[in-house]
Amino acid sequence: MTDLLVASAVSKTYFDTVANDNVVALDGISLSIGTHQFVSVIGPSGCGKSTFLRLVAGLDRPTAGDITVAGRKVTGPGADRGMVFQEYALLPWKTTAANIEFGPRLKGLPPAERATITRRFVELVGLKGFENKYPHQLSGGMRQRAAVARVLANNPTMLLMDEPFAAVDAMTRQHLQEELTAITAHERTTVLFITHAIEEAVFLSDRVIALSGRPGRIVADLAIDLPRPRRWDAMANDARFAAYRDELTRCIHGKT
Amino acid sequence: MSVVRKLVTELLPFAVALAIWQALSMADVWPKVLFPPPLEVAQAFAADLASGVLMVNLGVSLRSLMLGFALGCAIAVPLGYLMGLNRASRDFFDPLVNLLQAIPGLAWIPFAILWFGLGQGAVTFIIVMSVFFPVLHNLLTGIRMVQPVLIEAVQTLGAGRVAVIRHVIFPATLPNLMTGIRLGIAFGFRSLVGGEMIASTDGLGYAIFNAQQYFQSARIVVGMLTIGIVWLAMDRLVLRPIEQRTTMRWGLVREGLEKN
Repeated sequence: MTDLLVASAVSKTYFDTVANDNVVALDGISLSIGTHQFVSVIGPSGCGKSTFLRLVAGLDRPTAGDITVAGRKVTGPGADRGMVFQEYALLPWKTTAANIEFGPRLKGLPPAERATITRRFVELVGLKGFENKYPHQLSGGMRQRAAVARVLANNPTMLLMDEPFAAVDAMTRQHLQEELTAITAHERTTVLFITHAIEEAVFLSDRVIALSGRPGRIVADLAIDLPRPRRWDAMANDARFAAYRDELTRCIHGKT
Repeated sequence: MSVVRKLVTELLPFAVALAIWQALSMADVWPKVLFPPPLEVAQAFAADLASGVLMVNLGVSLRSLMLGFALGCAIAVPLGYLMGLNRASRDFFDPLVNLLQAIPGLAWIPFAILWFGLGQGAVTFIIVMSVFFPVLHNLLTGIRMVQPVLIEAVQTLGAGRVAVIRHVIFPATLPNLMTGIRLGIAFGFRSLVGGEMIASTDGLGYAIFNAQQYFQSARIVVGMLTIGIVWLAMDRLVLRPIEQRTTMRWGLVREGLEKN
């Protein structure tokens, strides 16, 4: 297995204007992630997990260390690392279809090909019939589906997700989690997923990395060996699922 | 909502205002020259319309207003995006803009007359000065309010600077730009009328001023109402349709707080 993402001794210090002091968000994070893996990073709020994702996305620069994706050093944001945000971040002035088509359009793909791609991903995330709706006409769960489709339609090397289901209700969240595992398994997408919910991380991932509280350091790195496809009704009584959850809970709470 | 009900909703406020006006006139509290009744105003309106005076003055005023508005926007809009998107331009222009912002358009009249002479040239100049600041100010506010997450999202989809400006900044600033345009036109009207009273020998403002010199109160009201009607027409026929097709459709602004 080749490593798609390699982070070497990545640190991030930023200046907090309110506290008027330097804050160490991440302290020497080194890790590598292989292709076609679903990896979650968990940790208490303020542990720098979102900061790490932003560094991978190229939206922020590390203070020390560097990150390479597919052998290329990350120096800025790019279409190879598509990101799904907690607040959806769909363009309000574009319809569902136009949002999903946006990446392929930027790449300069011909209209016919764009239409094919759009149709495919609209169907993949179950938004058929809502192509011509604007984001404000969709429910929270539908908006997040559209946001996932928008990134997948752009065929990124990595899918970066920053607590994408934190803003949707609990029932919708479970549906979206099941759909996401099915879609990413089907598309063989490499995913880096940020969450503070331990169960969510175990349910979705092939591997879970736990960070300590600020400054963020890796306190656990656990391979999740559960069969796919995964469903919540089966997980509820799965002893291995419970064991992973309990181990991660110990790691996080024992060291913060 | 049915067509009839819509029409009633639209016309009711005007009917009520007209009825109060008529009632106050009939109460005969003030002399007609101080408070001209609706019928006299309607007659004066018809007379000015028939003689062509009203249309000539309206044409002159609208030409100055539109020219001044277009020039004001032609400077304010590009400058606004430049200042909003470029730190160095903002640092340079912001103090200058702030220095000039509090000076009313009308304060430029003396210089406008010296530079352009009496006439619509001077009027157009002060309209430019009045339109410029509300458009610029609202546009800058709009740019500051663009959600960073929208920019970041399209960047991770491969958008460069040009694509970010075209697909995020331009549409996101439209609600504020529309507010700026509304205020710009409103401020432009004020300067138009004030400017024509002092610096011109034609136009609606001059007609209002001139009517007062001859104690033709009804014609003063004709001039005032014409301005109101022109603004109403601009709002209903141009600005609102634009908003309904863009910012309202996108869910960025609403008609009011009530549910549909």
